[in-house]
Amino acid sequence: MNEHVLDDLEAYALGALDRADAERVAQHLGGCESCRTEAASLAEVVGTLPETVTPRDPRPVLRDRILAAARTDIPRPAPAPMRRWSLGSVRLSRVAFAGLFASVIVLGAADIDAYQRTTAITAQRDQLYALIESLRQGGREWYMAGKGGFAGAGGTLYDPRADGKQPFVLFHDLPPIPAGKVPTIWLVSPDSTWARAATFRPNGQDIQAVPINMEVAGFDRCAVTLEDSPWGPRYGAVVMESRIAPPAP
Amino acid sequence: MPEQQPPDDALLASLAARDLGALATLYDRYGRLAYSLAYRILGEGEAAEDVVQDAFLSAWRGAGSYRRDRGNPRAWLLSIVHHRAVDILRRKTTFRPAPLEMAESQPSDDDTALAAEKNVEHRTVREALEALPQAQRRTIELAYFGGYTHVELSELMGVPLGTVKGRMRIGLQKMRRALERTR
Repeated sequence: MNEHVLDDLEAYALGALDRADAERVAQHLGGCESCRTEAASLAEVVGTLPETVTPRDPRPVLRDRILAAARTDIPRPAPAPMRRWSLGSVRLSRVAFAGLFASVIVLGAADIDAYQRTTAITAQRDQLYALIESLRQGGREWYMAGKGGFAGAGGTLYDPRADGKQPFVLFHDLPPIPAGKVPTIWLVSPDSTWARAATFRPNGQDIQAVPINMEVAGFDRCAVTLEDSPWGPRYGAVVMESRIAPPAP
Repeated sequence: MPEQQPPDDALLASLAARDLGALATLYDRYGRLAYSLAYRILGEGEAAEDVVQDAFLSAWRGAGSYRRDRGNPRAWLLSIVHHRAVDILRRKTTFRPAPLEMAESQPSDDDTALAAEKNVEHRTVREALEALPQAQRRTIELAYFGGYTHVELSELMGVPLGTVKGRMRIGLQKMRRALERTR
């Protein structure tokens, strides 16, 4: 059996061992009940130390950032099988049809075939309905053109400004994403604080909608980067961006 | 009648089931404490927020593998915050054991006691820490809040490594006894 590590348990509990020593202690604890019991008791004492710090409030936006990032982890229902679009299978009113058609024109999005396939996916269709509604109600939009390896791709940030409708980005023609990279949408405040609005994985479709669980108001720029991690500050290069103009007076 | 709040263990179970509302409740319960700890270690608001975000998302993603023997959910969450913050502190290329005076001024908040007095539990912990002889208290604070390893503390304080370990051991034992007396 390994030699007991009682001599290092206090430093281990305080996080005051270097990585190699901490791993050695952790490995021992895995197989030693008596040391593990003592380590747990010390950890309980050390766990009270945060109570001694001066209470400080984080900015309220931190809560939104955390919930938005967590929301992107929730698996979405599998999309309905792709099918050719028809008036019989998707009952669109004339108004809705006109709105959808207009939205495609507004987006400058792909051809009618891509449009038809997109409308066959329920979730995407719902997003387009939201878009129509937002356009009716004075929603706003900003187009982010792709750069470098994303040339030819783009994304439009929509702020529906309608009750119950959350903002989203509608991407088109996203290229394959390098392994290990995490496409990330950011909202940037006037003081250059980058707030992670959403992370996502390309779905392989011509068009992809990514919801954002944050208010757009208060930010003056939106951007897309490729990050190494689904959380943390921005490190990746900007592959799309746009200024967010304030609403017209 | 006030609405009953779910216990921490139930919140973690809900996190494992991908309940965003449980995450929001957990944040409302411990977000401020987590941020206060990260800020105390890093001394900078933006970095502290990033640490808190990382910690809550780690809890969100790791709740399914949480085991009670790692400590209660609050201690588990705060240990994630602590490890993340200290990792960042140590990764800074400029991080070296600072002169003793500077290192002492960093973790010593004069207003800490005043703010903590508002809460009985805070006061108990604070009193247990303050009751320690200065050398033991400094060693514990510099290790936990300053991110120093025991070897660095030995150099920083100019004492043998065994002395640093002894101060940690005796200091934490005294705190444990003091906290047990109040329970």
